[in-house]
Amino acid sequence: MLKFLLWFRYLHKRKIVLLGIAAVALSTALLIVVSSLFTGFIKAFELAAVQAIGDVIVAPPFRFAKYPLFIERLERTGAVEAATATLSGQGLVHLGKGRVRAVKVWGIEPAKQSKVTGLKKSLCRQGRLPGEPSFEMPGSAEATGGFVGIGVVAEPDEKTDEYDFEGVEKAIIGQKVVLITGTETETIPGAGPAGSSSADSTGASTRFRRRNIPFFVSDIVFTGVYPLDKDFVYLPIEELQKTLYPDEASPTADQVHIKLSRGVPIEVALAEIRGVWETFASEQLGWRSYLIKYTDIETAGQLQSRYVAELFKQMGILLLIFGVVSFGVVLLVFCIFYMMARLKQKDVAILKSFGAASRSVVFVFFGFGACIGLVGSGLGTVIGYVVTRNVNAIEEWIRIIFGLKLWKSSVYMFSHIPSVVNWHSVLIIACSASAAVVIGALIPAIVAARTVPVNVLRYE
Amino acid sequence: MYKVVLVFRYLLRKRISYLAFFSVSLCVFIVAVVMTVMRGLVTDFKDKNHRFVGDCVVGTESLVGFAYYEDFMKVLEGQDFVECTSPVIKSYALCRRGSGPSVGVEVFGIDAERHSRVTGFGETLHYHKGAPRQAFEPVFDSNIPGCIVGVDLWLPRDSQGRYSYQQSLSEEAVVISCVALTASGALAKGGLEIVNTKTFWCSDTSESGLARVDGSVVYLPFEWAQMLCGMGGPDKRTSSVYIKFRGGVKFERGCAGVASLWEEFVRANGGKKLSGLFSQVKVESWKGYRREFIAAMEKEQTMLIVLFALLGVTTVFIVFVVFYMIVSHKSKDIGILESIGASRAGIVRLFLGFAFLVGVLGSFIGVVAGGLFLLNINQIEGWLFEHFEFQLWDRTIYAIGDIPNKADYRVLLIIVISAIFACLLGALVPSWQAARLKPVESLQVGQL
Repeated sequence: MLKFLLWFRYLHKRKIVLLGIAAVALSTALLIVVSSLFTGFIKAFELAAVQAIGDVIVAPPFRFAKYPLFIERLERTGAVEAATATLSGQGLVHLGKGRVRAVKVWGIEPAKQSKVTGLKKSLCRQGRLPGEPSFEMPGSAEATGGFVGIGVVAEPDEKTDEYDFEGVEKAIIGQKVVLITGTETETIPGAGPAGSSSADSTGASTRFRRRNIPFFVSDIVFTGVYPLDKDFVYLPIEELQKTLYPDEASPTADQVHIKLSRGVPIEVALAEIRGVWETFASEQLGWRSYLIKYTDIETAGQLQSRYVAELFKQMGILLLIFGVVSFGVVLLVFCIFYMMARLKQKDVAILKSFGAASRSVVFVFFGFGACIGLVGSGLGTVIGYVVTRNVNAIEEWIRIIFGLKLWKSSVYMFSHIPSVVNWHSVLIIACSASAAVVIGALIPAIVAARTVPVNVLRYE
Repeated sequence: MYKVVLVFRYLLRKRISYLAFFSVSLCVFIVAVVMTVMRGLVTDFKDKNHRFVGDCVVGTESLVGFAYYEDFMKVLEGQDFVECTSPVIKSYALCRRGSGPSVGVEVFGIDAERHSRVTGFGETLHYHKGAPRQAFEPVFDSNIPGCIVGVDLWLPRDSQGRYSYQQSLSEEAVVISCVALTASGALAKGGLEIVNTKTFWCSDTSESGLARVDGSVVYLPFEWAQMLCGMGGPDKRTSSVYIKFRGGVKFERGCAGVASLWEEFVRANGGKKLSGLFSQVKVESWKGYRREFIAAMEKEQTMLIVLFALLGVTTVFIVFVVFYMIVSHKSKDIGILESIGASRAGIVRLFLGFAFLVGVLGSFIGVVAGGLFLLNINQIEGWLFEHFEFQLWDRTIYAIGDIPNKADYRVLLIIVISAIFACLLGALVPSWQAARLKPVESLQVGQL
């Protein structure tokens, strides 16, 4: 009871202790914010891949035919909930007078793609409507429709970094644009390096031919992930195949995106998918085993693992730097407690003269240190939580007051700062802060415990 | 005199002051190292951008470009502050290397020799370094059209950030397919299928050190690019004109001069055919032209400074507590000093002098330790990579060479001044409290 009384008395009377609490809170809050923002960014990065390609991607070295059969077989396994094929390419899109953008083109089936990825939620018009999305133009079923990323057709506002969704929808949906892409269409063995053909190592020569695909914009895609919004155009897979590979009789794709069933372990699912692919490729495509081996079957997370590891490393380095600077907190607490141990020698001596053991005196200071650590790290956690959760509002206020736009989607990929608190880090940081304070209190506690009452309380 | 004696006495005798001293050193060490590396990265990035575009750019973002650029270049080159100019075509294209897939790239149409006089382009070449005149001539056949490819489009980077250059380039075709636009921005020659597609042969690679440029730009001879993008013909157009000023000309003055010449030129040619395209042309300094990229790094640097300033508050607290303790313990000394005539200002000066000394010595140790660490930072990273495969940045992902370790003395000076200021700030209140002590109270028997 006496210990608690002393803790509260010291906390109340010794204003200098508040400095220790403030320093602990400041360091804890800063580390929590940095750690949460980093992990939020990494999670958003991983989620963006799942939103774009689903849980697993099958990417063979060459495009392949009969994909509907492969998808049917995949969906028959218990591991796969849905799968969809894409045919990819690159091109230039002519949006109107003097406006050309380099884009990546994906031939997709929108309804199936929405089952595997977050496509429907990303569509500005159809995302709000019930039913499955489609490329159909309202009132003109015959016209070829396509989706374009919002960043392809518009730029975010220079000051706010926000798109004018209403304006873009009004101006672009229903507009006719032209996609210019290319494909190698013929092989001329022995042809030389002239004109627009090029020879490969076997001496054969392929001719590159430009293909123009006019289409109407039936919807705008806004994922909130800048590279996806800036670079992508989506067209019907049959239309793209017809234009790029007119001689292919069977449906052709170069990737399959897969959504896994809930609760299926990743390793099991990957093994099942690989098994289905191997059977399909050897039986239906007649591929040799080395080609089948070169097929990448990876989860969205595996696909980005190198970048994620790099981001985690950078977070670690930043936390280490701030952690070392925060080491000052230990010194600060040491100073405060040392001062208290010296100034409160009389209190300690009186306690000891009443029969208190040295261990009890150590515990008074230790407990007080733990108290400060808990209060400081608790306060820091609250500040860190509030700052992290409101980081977008804070960033907006900084923009309004100082005219400084700190976060831009074109630089940091996402249109909003990920503001999810990483509770795992919070626990580690708060515990470390409390431990640091207790360590800082250690030597002063020992100094206090070694007080000899007779020396302190004598008359002179 | 008593102040100097007491300051050194306190510093040597009061071991608690070592803590303040250590705290300042640690803070200065970390901030000096981090800010030197960060500043090195930002400065290097800015320099590379400056070398990439020259001093000033007159250009348009529209892919249609603008006409009469040759006339304007003549006007510019007649000025005493302009050293050289270079027209640049900028557009997008599909690029196919050998029998590989087509990828979207940016096309830069340049006159390699002229462009190298304005920018640092000639130095970015590997096989024609310093000899840009033949840059578009493949070594295996100088009569066929060559192109220069951004190095990241052509070669992989190893774990040390190096490219695996061969003795000479292999014969490899690069098929470039551009979109030709008319002066009104419409698609030109839309009826033909193979128009604006041309096979070039890789004659060199360019390593500007800018990841976005080296990973997406293919340089073509100016005339070819002009033709492929539909900017040739009787009313030739270009996207931009890059300008280099003569030595000693300040950027602001040079850019203002170019802007006023451009306004005059637009007024004089306003009635001509295609003069409507002038309205989209802007005159910008190299920094303004590349601000989208540079501003992001500068902001990150600012944010880091703010974070360190927040953490620096802890150092102020430590100094405050240390001085508070010293003042509490030295009330007797203060009482004696005041009783023999020392003024309040003298007491404040005594403790602030002590704080100043702590700041100076702490900063000195921090700066020296930081300097030693920076001097060996690349060796330390090399050792860590060799033994633990740890790198500060994965060089296969980031286009960063060595860790920048060149200390900027202005930055170090700012850090040292900030540290001393933090010490003075932390010591201010305890010093004032010391000055307010009354000798009669601090020297009474009860206090002794």
